Amino acid sequence: MPRLTVLKGTLDVLVLRALSWTPMHGFEIVDWLERAGSGRLDIDDSALYQALYRLEERGLLAADWGVTENNRRARYYTLTPAGRTFLRAETKQWMQYAQTVTTILTAGKDAVPANAT
Amino acid sequence: MIRAGIRRVFALSLRGRRRWERDVEEEIMLHLTLRAEQLVAAGRSAEDAYAEAVRRFGPLDESRARMFDAARHRERHMQRTEWLADARQDLRFALHTLAGQKLWTAVTVLTLALGIGATTAVFSVVSTMILHPIAYPHADRIVLLYQQPSSGNNTGLQVTILPSARIMRAWRADAHSFEAIEAYNAGTAGMETDGDPSTVNTARVLPSFLSFAGERPLIGRMFTDGEAASKSHVVLLGESIWRQRFGSNPNVLGKYITLDGASYAIIGVLPAALQLPSASRNSSDMWLPLDIHDDQIGMYGIGRLRPGIATETAQRELDSIQTRIGNIQGDHATLNSIVMPPSSRVSYRDSLMLLTWAVALVLLVACANVAHLVLARSSTRQRELAIRAALGAGRWRIVRQLLAESLLIAATGTALGVFAGWIGLHVMISLRPSSLDSLKAARLDGTTLGIALAVGIASTVVFALLAAFRSGGSSSDALRTGSLTASSSRAQRRVRGLLVVTEMALSALLIVGATMLVRSVINLQSAKLGFEPHGLYSIKIPFEEAHISAPAARAAFTKAYLDRVRRIPAVTSLAATTSPPGWFFFDIGRLEIEGQPAPPATSTSFITANQTQNAFFATMRIPLVRGSLFTDTSATSTQVIVNASFARKTWPSGDAVGQRIRIVQTDSEPWLTVVGVAADAQTSGPLSEATAPVLYLPPGDRTWANVIIRTSGGAASLAPAVAILRQMGIRRPPTPASAEQVVDKAIDAPRFVMLLLTTFTVLALLLAAIGMYGVMSYRVAQTTREIGIRIALGATPARIGRTVLGSGVALAVGGAIVGLTAAAWGTRLIQAQLYGVSRLDPVAFTVGAVVLVGVAVLACVIPTRRALSIDPVSAIRAE
Repeated sequence: MPRLTVLKGTLDVLVLRALSWTPMHGFEIVDWLERAGSGRLDIDDSALYQALYRLEERGLLAADWGVTENNRRARYYTLTPAGRTFLRAETKQWMQYAQTVTTILTAGKDAVPANAT
Repeated sequence: MIRAGIRRVFALSLRGRRRWERDVEEEIMLHLTLRAEQLVAAGRSAEDAYAEAVRRFGPLDESRARMFDAARHRERHMQRTEWLADARQDLRFALHTLAGQKLWTAVTVLTLALGIGATTAVFSVVSTMILHPIAYPHADRIVLLYQQPSSGNNTGLQVTILPSARIMRAWRADAHSFEAIEAYNAGTAGMETDGDPSTVNTARVLPSFLSFAGERPLIGRMFTDGEAASKSHVVLLGESIWRQRFGSNPNVLGKYITLDGASYAIIGVLPAALQLPSASRNSSDMWLPLDIHDDQIGMYGIGRLRPGIATETAQRELDSIQTRIGNIQGDHATLNSIVMPPSSRVSYRDSLMLLTWAVALVLLVACANVAHLVLARSSTRQRELAIRAALGAGRWRIVRQLLAESLLIAATGTALGVFAGWIGLHVMISLRPSSLDSLKAARLDGTTLGIALAVGIASTVVFALLAAFRSGGSSSDALRTGSLTASSSRAQRRVRGLLVVTEMALSALLIVGATMLVRSVINLQSAKLGFEPHGLYSIKIPFEEAHISAPAARAAFTKAYLDRVRRIPAVTSLAATTSPPGWFFFDIGRLEIEGQPAPPATSTSFITANQTQNAFFATMRIPLVRGSLFTDTSATSTQVIVNASFARKTWPSGDAVGQRIRIVQTDSEPWLTVVGVAADAQTSGPLSEATAPVLYLPPGDRTWANVIIRTSGGAASLAPAVAILRQMGIRRPPTPASAEQVVDKAIDAPRFVMLLLTTFTVLALLLAAIGMYGVMSYRVAQTTREIGIRIALGATPARIGRTVLGSGVALAVGGAIVGLTAAAWGTRLIQAQLYGVSRLDPVAFTVGAVVLVGVAVLACVIPTRRALSIDPVSAIRAE
């Protein structure tokens, strides 16, 4: 199975998406992304942490120390209201973009509407 | 087990790092651990799992560094936000607390504002006039250059002489102590624009003056050395006249204007910032080239010393240059060079320094007040603070809270104070005496604001902190005893008492000083001057403007003028003189007295000589005490009238009339015979020397420019005298100068200083009274219970009142003793400014003591009444 390199800029949205359900710590996010992407996304774990820190600095995420199920201290990340708004906007934009690209790539030559002149 | 392995493999140390670094390390470690566990669960071996976990993590060092950076940022940001939030909360709480104690807050803020206001106003003046009198580059090395007669000045005046052009040239060429020496002159000229004559201020400088003062022309150019040497008729306009009279028109360049009848080409405009060094002068309208080769004129000198050169060194060098080229007066007078910083030439420097001291005392009183206001409040708050501490507020948190309150008070007080100071400064400027005209340049500057701020913050914050740290120590006591009086320790009581005594002492000092100045001014105003200034006026005939220069023509003009003015109905008498009130005229020479050894050649001196007519004495109302008026008023008359002090000093045992004296310059002067002795007169006002020798000489062939007129009407009755001058061809006749105004002007500076000092004294006294009131109220409040018990035990109201009042008066008396003792020493600072008042004036000291104790008693009235109205039952039960 070929592994997909994550496009620049999309990792942030993916991380926010992961956190839109519930607060998670770093490894949980990685694990979720791998499972949600069926193991096809190729992400450096370190890149994920840098994304987390970046998003936290921008106020899109908040972090606090908590305890895992196995009683380990872990840093839990939560989506802030600003993060949620950002995620919604980014998702919409991304969908439109992906749809457009898909349309173009799959359309036959004649399917493109003629110029109105 | 896996964690330990990870830690071993990556040598992650969790100790000795900063918190955010530890957080990052811990997060990475947890991740690697969980990843390894995941892999082990998937069937890998432990060793293999670690390696894979690390591989998947990516570049470990690099990302760790980045995460550190991000984490540090985040940490800082959080701290800042937290701090701001805390500060906001502190301030809000402080506002709330202070709003709950409106009276206390108002008194504290106003006290601070008054102290800072007074300081700001006075220090602005000092800063502008004494610290920064001349705004040229390297102002600290700028010095003024003068000459003074080295001996024999017996005019009773301080005489400074403008160096001649010849000396100035030599100094400029040879003095190595200076980076530069500049010469300048100032005067007035008649300017005519469209046939409309007006008077403008002129400045004559050398071309190099511009760079010396650090300025450049706004438009056009400065004149050149060549133009200065060739007496070219070129002029640069001052910026203000250019804007006001020439409409800021840049096309004035190349135009011509008429100054004193001659035509000058305008070649440039100089900025308003360029000022001649004499700060009291109005801004110069016309800048003209100075002819430094004209040996007939004297000129002002200003120099910039080389770094590290002392004024004494420079003075010695100038002296030696002067000795080498010889004195301009030949052997007539020996002159010394004077090199002095501009600040020491500020008029009324002593008075300004005195006011600075006074205002410093006011500030001290204000600070003492704030101090005990803060202390008193902190002790009533011991319980509140103790409760807060017990509820878990950290010490730092409580200190912060107190700090916030103090800063709020300091900020409000300082802002109000600076505003008050600004107003005060403008009041001072508008009340300024004409002799202190340079006061109008005073501004609130950065230094002053800085000092005001520092004082405001220091006085509140320092005491708040002191209070805070003390309260921290006794917090548990405060709670345990549960009593308001718990904190009123004997030591605290002593501190507060000491503060009041200090305030009272400082006020006493000020009262004594102010009383002395008030008495001085009263003495000055009622001083016997030896002549009658009321109804006396003088007019200077402007011969130069009328282009009358021949002595005979001037004499004829004066005679004709006198004859016509005499016919004005209100004029009762008049005379021509060289020295009208406010003016002196000197002869230079050695005063030789017949029958006494001839004075040595070095005793050449300035001798006040007034060449005048017989009618002078009647017009001035100066009585003759012996002898007669001039009987010979011809040009060859050898008669002289001397003043009484001179006669008494010179011929202590005999009659002056008939004695002979002469003023020797070349040894060919004739002997003059004393025909009369006139009473001493202080024609320049009460501050001039009363007993300096004065010689009155008959008119001779000299020409006087001044006419003194006594009129039975006011100044208006002399309008015809001005009209006559105009009829005689004088286009800009001067207005008659009132002798009363001359005398008045001479004492307006002392009066101004007295006014300010009195204001500050009242201010200090007011503050001290507030302080006394505060302390006494506090004492009564503290001892409510005790007083209640005493009343219950049968103490009469009179007894209670005596106790309260007595302790207040005791403080005041203590203050008075300290203050008056200090005054006995301190009044030597104002001795020079006293007139007819001893520096140990018993009246002033009595007033000081009485006023102080009186004010203290007044301040105690309300607290005493409160003590008397205490209801014993509720007072005892209240605790």
